Amino acid sequence: MRVATMRNRLWTLYLTLLKDHYGLSAAKYYYFKKRQRTWEPLVIVAGLAPAVVMGMVFVWNFTEKLFMAGLTFGQPHLALLNGALMVSLAGLFFGFFSVITAFFFSSDLDMLVPLPLYSWEVLGAKLAVVLTGQYGINLLILTPLWARYGLLAGAGAGYILSAIVVFFALPLLPLSIASVLAVLLMRAVNLSRHKDKLTLVGGLLLVVVMVGFQVWLQSSLGSGDPEVVMEQLLSRADGLIRAVGRVFPPSVWAAQAMAYSHTGVGWLNLLYLVAASGAALFVLYYLGEKVFLQGLLAGMEGTKGSGRARKVSLSAQSRSPLLAVASMESKLFVRDPGFALNGLIGYVLLPAMALLPMFGQSLENNPFELLALDQLPPFVLSGGLALYFMFMTAMSMIPATTFSREGKYLWQIRSLPLSIEQIIAAKVVGSQVVNIIGCLVGAVPVAILMGWSIWEVLLGSFLGTLLASALAGFLALFDLRKPMLDWVNPVKAVKSNLNAVVGLLIGVILGFALGMLMFATIGLELLWLIPIELLAAALALGLAVRFMVRKWAPGLWKRI
Amino acid sequence: MLKLEGVTKRYKGASVNAVDNLDLEVRPGEIFGFLGPNGAGKTTTIRMVVGLLAADRGRIVVNGHDLASDPIAAKRSIGFVPDNPNLYPKLTGLEYLNLIGDVYGVDGPTRKRRLDHYLGMFELTSAVGDLVQSFSRGMKQKLALTGALLHEPPLFILDEPMVGLDPRSAHLFKSIMREHVHQGNTVFFSTHVLEVAEQLCDRVGIINKGQLIACGTMDELRRASGRAGSNLEKLFLELTDAGGDHEE
Repeated sequence: MRVATMRNRLWTLYLTLLKDHYGLSAAKYYYFKKRQRTWEPLVIVAGLAPAVVMGMVFVWNFTEKLFMAGLTFGQPHLALLNGALMVSLAGLFFGFFSVITAFFFSSDLDMLVPLPLYSWEVLGAKLAVVLTGQYGINLLILTPLWARYGLLAGAGAGYILSAIVVFFALPLLPLSIASVLAVLLMRAVNLSRHKDKLTLVGGLLLVVVMVGFQVWLQSSLGSGDPEVVMEQLLSRADGLIRAVGRVFPPSVWAAQAMAYSHTGVGWLNLLYLVAASGAALFVLYYLGEKVFLQGLLAGMEGTKGSGRARKVSLSAQSRSPLLAVASMESKLFVRDPGFALNGLIGYVLLPAMALLPMFGQSLENNPFELLALDQLPPFVLSGGLALYFMFMTAMSMIPATTFSREGKYLWQIRSLPLSIEQIIAAKVVGSQVVNIIGCLVGAVPVAILMGWSIWEVLLGSFLGTLLASALAGFLALFDLRKPMLDWVNPVKAVKSNLNAVVGLLIGVILGFALGMLMFATIGLELLWLIPIELLAAALALGLAVRFMVRKWAPGLWKRI
Repeated sequence: MLKLEGVTKRYKGASVNAVDNLDLEVRPGEIFGFLGPNGAGKTTTIRMVVGLLAADRGRIVVNGHDLASDPIAAKRSIGFVPDNPNLYPKLTGLEYLNLIGDVYGVDGPTRKRRLDHYLGMFELTSAVGDLVQSFSRGMKQKLALTGALLHEPPLFILDEPMVGLDPRSAHLFKSIMREHVHQGNTVFFSTHVLEVAEQLCDRVGIINKGQLIACGTMDELRRASGRAGSNLEKLFLELTDAGGDHEE
């Protein structure tokens, strides 16, 4: 038994959370101590390595192109700015969800709060864990970018030194902003009895705000062809640097710190970046002490019934077991912000991306402009809408994690006097109620604003419901094959679940295949065939799923 | 060692207090049993004392430190074992214990000595290198207990410690509580097992509907109820009078 010598408690806390978050201890335990599943890391590395290498090569080549294009207009450090802005915005967007999960939805808070730790220590250690992941991603993106730039620009030691400082400082500000937003949001919503609902609504609204921010950023840079945009910006004296600088100055400071590392301007910009990051961390520290614990405690408190005498109807109508389980499936999903925030984000994200540009610009600048009916032949829109329904069912992860989400509560459904066929059917109904409503909530406003025909929308929704439900049945069966039941944090049941990823891939592949079929049908000018093809596909998939469920589900259900 | 003055807690949306103006003093060197029916307010009280819930009103003082104004010093004096220890499943037992040791500033040699003692006693020495997720409920309870005792806290708080333990482990838990008190420390625990409270406690407090309805030694409780020779079960049932469930 190796007992550690005493270490700094913040450092220990950070290391412990890091080991837990990334499963480092579990990996060490299985791969080295137990020598079990040693093939796993090899498969993961072999699977990921080509994609990572390809990505890095792409960044390397793209950097060279940007450098050359920028050189023409006297702004070769456009490549540096591009990289800094990209990782900053990604850090801000994805960081929000990472920090809100780490700060408020993690299962270790019951254990950490009674320990003699300051709020800022808990907050700081958790932020450091998220930050570590961000550094890992940034390393893969920025290393080829900065290396290529350095070689092309013939940069010296000052550049390397500046790059090291920028590397560590760059994600601090976006993550601190995301953390401040998360802490304030949770402080506000935890005051309410409707904490979970407000968390969900607040989180989804924030997605809309962030999409809006990106749309605004894009519109502030101009419109139309990206090459034209770049040309316009580069040809102006102040160029892209100032345009972007108005939106997110730290990325400009980072780029200029590295580009001018041989001059005082560079070091001044580096000072700005470090100072701004330090200031953001200080604000977070202050909020950590003042607000974090209160928000956390209010959240842990939960809510009780009103206690008011309320008449409860004991003569409520009884429902069929199928409807009862279906209702439970949809309620349990939408009531848990850990599930719902991750699963329903697509229903907000895609419509927001389609709709928000319309408020700032003409339809011409909308990336979804092709969906306007006057540009589309009949039945193409309904076909596309049907594929959207199907893809979103895979993206929501509801059917693909239907058994995984039961976790340690699986015994409840197992102990019900229902066959697995009935359970799958009920769960598909429950998941599809959420998915179809989600699709309609997104599609209807887009349809109204873009002037789609109601018949196209109705036909598309009908076909989409059939296709999506058939796919949902298959994904539920796939999850039954090997459900991920060993989780404490609900976010992990959906976000870290391989079944959800595979489900998404299946959705993409199926959507691509049907899309190609539609494309071929359009080419043959047999447009009336599109709904028939999709209907046939839905029926075929549905029958195949029914067959597979009957054949395999009972055995899989017994095996769990 | 532990003093609660007028502590009150009402959950959001509830119409009655879960803990209502609670005054309680646990003296140094005693084992204090905190009893009450389901939903009486035991866990709410304990969660307030360890900082997991904020009291709406009142004052909690632990080992001379006010929990509201000096929470870190107050928490340093406490070792807490919840009713269902929620430990990191993906850490090994030893990694968890080292975290606790570092947070409480237990130096290496002392840590090793105490871990040898407690892990040996709980027969966890060979399992402590395994992942917590592979532990049984009882093993997790023992691991949490080891962690809570690692810094030899002046105040040892346990919420329903006997739930889910086999007789041998329950016996060990009782021995540890006694041993801890013999070293000059204090034990405060909640339980439903009245025999355990009767055997083990120097004093007991009975809470019902958020209010402390009785507090004292067994003899004091018997005298107060006017039933000499009565056991704790009878006293408990009489005092709590089969009251309905309440918010916890």
